[in-house]
Amino acid sequence: MQGFLDNLIRNAGHDPATWPYTQFVYLAGMAVAALIVINFAAIASGIFSWAERRVAARIQSRVGPNRVGPAGFLQWIADAVKLLLKEDLVPDEADQFLFRIAPYFMMVGFCCVFVTLPFSHSLIVADMNIGVFYIIAVTALIVVGIIMSGWSSNSKWSLFGAIRSAAQIISYEIPGGMALMIPVMLAGTMSTQGIIRAQGGLPWQWFLFDNPAAFAAFFIYFTSALAEGNRTPFDLPEAESELVSGYNTEYSGMRFSYFFLVEWGNLWVMSALAVTMFLGGWQIPGLSPERFDALTGGTAVVAEIGSLLIFALKTLFFVFVVMWLRWTLPRIRIDQMMSMCWKYLVPASFAGVLFVAVWMLIVNAAPWLGLAMRFTLTAVGALTIAMFALRVLKNIRDTGDKFDFTSNW
Amino acid sequence: MAETQAQSGRQAEGAFGAYVKNVRDSAKSFWEGMSVTLSYMFRKPITSQYPDRMSVSVNHTIPARYRGFLEVDMDICTACQACERACPIQVINIDILKGDGKLVPKLRMERFDIDIGKCMYCGLCVEPCPTGAIQHTREFEGAVMHFNNLTLRFVPDVLQPVVAYKPPKGADAFPRKQLGEITRSLIKAWDAPPPPFPSKEEAAKAEHGKPKAGALDVAAMGRQLAARALQVKEDKPKLQKVIEEAMAGTDCGDCGYPDCFGYSDAIAQGKDFSSEKCAPGGADSKAMLETILVTLKTGVVPGPGAGEVSDGSAGGHHKNMVSPEGVSPVSTEVEKPTGPPLAQTLSKDELYKVVLDAMAGTDCGDCEYADCDGYSKGIVYEGQTDLNRCAPGGEDTRVKLYEIMLGTKPPAK
Repeated sequence: MQGFLDNLIRNAGHDPATWPYTQFVYLAGMAVAALIVINFAAIASGIFSWAERRVAARIQSRVGPNRVGPAGFLQWIADAVKLLLKEDLVPDEADQFLFRIAPYFMMVGFCCVFVTLPFSHSLIVADMNIGVFYIIAVTALIVVGIIMSGWSSNSKWSLFGAIRSAAQIISYEIPGGMALMIPVMLAGTMSTQGIIRAQGGLPWQWFLFDNPAAFAAFFIYFTSALAEGNRTPFDLPEAESELVSGYNTEYSGMRFSYFFLVEWGNLWVMSALAVTMFLGGWQIPGLSPERFDALTGGTAVVAEIGSLLIFALKTLFFVFVVMWLRWTLPRIRIDQMMSMCWKYLVPASFAGVLFVAVWMLIVNAAPWLGLAMRFTLTAVGALTIAMFALRVLKNIRDTGDKFDFTSNW
Repeated sequence: MAETQAQSGRQAEGAFGAYVKNVRDSAKSFWEGMSVTLSYMFRKPITSQYPDRMSVSVNHTIPARYRGFLEVDMDICTACQACERACPIQVINIDILKGDGKLVPKLRMERFDIDIGKCMYCGLCVEPCPTGAIQHTREFEGAVMHFNNLTLRFVPDVLQPVVAYKPPKGADAFPRKQLGEITRSLIKAWDAPPPPFPSKEEAAKAEHGKPKAGALDVAAMGRQLAARALQVKEDKPKLQKVIEEAMAGTDCGDCGYPDCFGYSDAIAQGKDFSSEKCAPGGADSKAMLETILVTLKTGVVPGPGAGEVSDGSAGGHHKNMVSPEGVSPVSTEVEKPTGPPLAQTLSKDELYKVVLDAMAGTDCGDCEYADCDGYSKGIVYEGQTDLNRCAPGGEDTRVKLYEIMLGTKPPAK
């Protein structure tokens, strides 16, 4: 980002180091980047709210919102406008100041993640050398927002929801963080772009299939991300049947919409992070990052768009998986949630880190072993997916139905 | 010592086994659950996108016994009002006009409204209907611009009352129109623009010009029937016929007997002394049956007593007229203190015309003459002294004939 702005200044005939207005250009650049990122987050979460309803409907043999715009696509705009125009109600007994600012804490914690989250080969706000660490750190701001909203609402439902959420996020940050350490160790950097560059475009070059511990770490990370994002089956903080709506019970109108924006925007964050760390990010098969850097002109633009598409498609697939999970799994009990974290995921993630440390030494001594393991795990993964697809088709056939994805939209 | 070691070893194995089992179980349940939900993702949703994106018309998807809007086939409606009585929330409104069964039909309906906006589709009205005239259709789309429009009017014009259907004795099937036709045609007109509101003059004109046709002098008819009943008191079948005339004749079965014959026969046989069981006949039938029962008991036909003055003046201004010609109110003529009766002042030919005028003019033959002409000639030229024979004309004609011939009020029958 800074390099891009420096180039702009140089093209205008100034030296960025001595030109007095350089800092203003940086500031303007930051404002533009923030605007783009926040709008991307808002629009993406809006679209996900529609997509989630369509996916939910389809899984429940319904149709879902399909009247506003093509296939109901503009439904999210209608809903957003409705939410923005609703009365902003602050309860009488609430802590007015905290109640009002809590949603912004959540928004800040959520939007800051996008700073180091890549979109394509060169589309990234700032490629920090502590990228992963930064992401883990700023997501903690969301907990602050949740606790604030729960406490300031002065409602027992909100408070219970907030405390559950805090307990959940603090617990699951440990296995989640440890799981993310595995690709960091494999890549030798915390920079998100660096981690992507350390992988490749083809499945066996991904960290997901690097070794069994990394394979397990992907699932540990994904589970923890679900818990941190308060997604089903870990939606205890907003369990409708127990807590009305959890920490956002007392909110209405625009402030309420911030909570929902964060929840759905989180789908992109957790999926994009999974793709970055384990699934080769924007890597185009057959095009190494070094050759990508050397591209110029039209080919560079085409490759850029290609890498953007690859990244987006991988991410959207995992967004779909999260939605799919929501309509599959029931909410787990709070003691199960805790025991799952502390008895299973935490030990497994620590063991995985140790295993990877050893494994890297072994592979260093015998590179063929690493290659064999990559191919084996990729084959296992492909086989699993194939078996799963067959199982799905069998489920459809067993009830006398047909495979039909196109009718009754 | 060795034993306890082995035991703890087994326990550790058991705990570890349970741990592994939990991991395996959760992986397995993910596998099963997610394959099921994804399989539904790739099936056709069961939703019917009513109304505009149905693959088949909604009319073809509704089951045959669906309880939609009600429909009445007025051609086979006996006007028994069983449906109106069965309705728990007064959705059905039927207005009945009673006639004497000779000059004007015995039962006509000038209103048969069903307020679909109120109807709860319970089907209780369908069950008592003796002919199946009222039925649930499969129509259900009731979106209208004003809820008043939701009333289905099966008698479209009050001025053209619908004559009640008289079911043939013993029939168990009735010629009903195709179910749904009538209601559909009514629904089509639901949101049609209303006719222009009549001006005050027009409204007043319509009010006056409205023929007060076919109404019934209940008390007079009751006395007539009572008199006839007294004559045939010993002849049970004839008595039964007379009594049945006081009933509505719809064979609705509300009285507890299978039909009107059953009830009237029970009265004629002296087995039933209740006058209140004819629900379709209502207060009218009750009054007539009461008169008959009292007459049979006492052997004297009650005169038009104080309680029945209403049939001359107060009882609703259309109840005292018998013929559709609407002869001028009787009471004024009766009270007029005139000189000698017309019979002594007019020539016989003129008198004959006046007498003929006084009769109902239905040529019913109840007077045992061939027609009204014959009875008039009998009175004027042949010395017939019985002035009580004109049944369709009822009390009105009697009063007039006594006035004309004798200059007196008629005696009680």
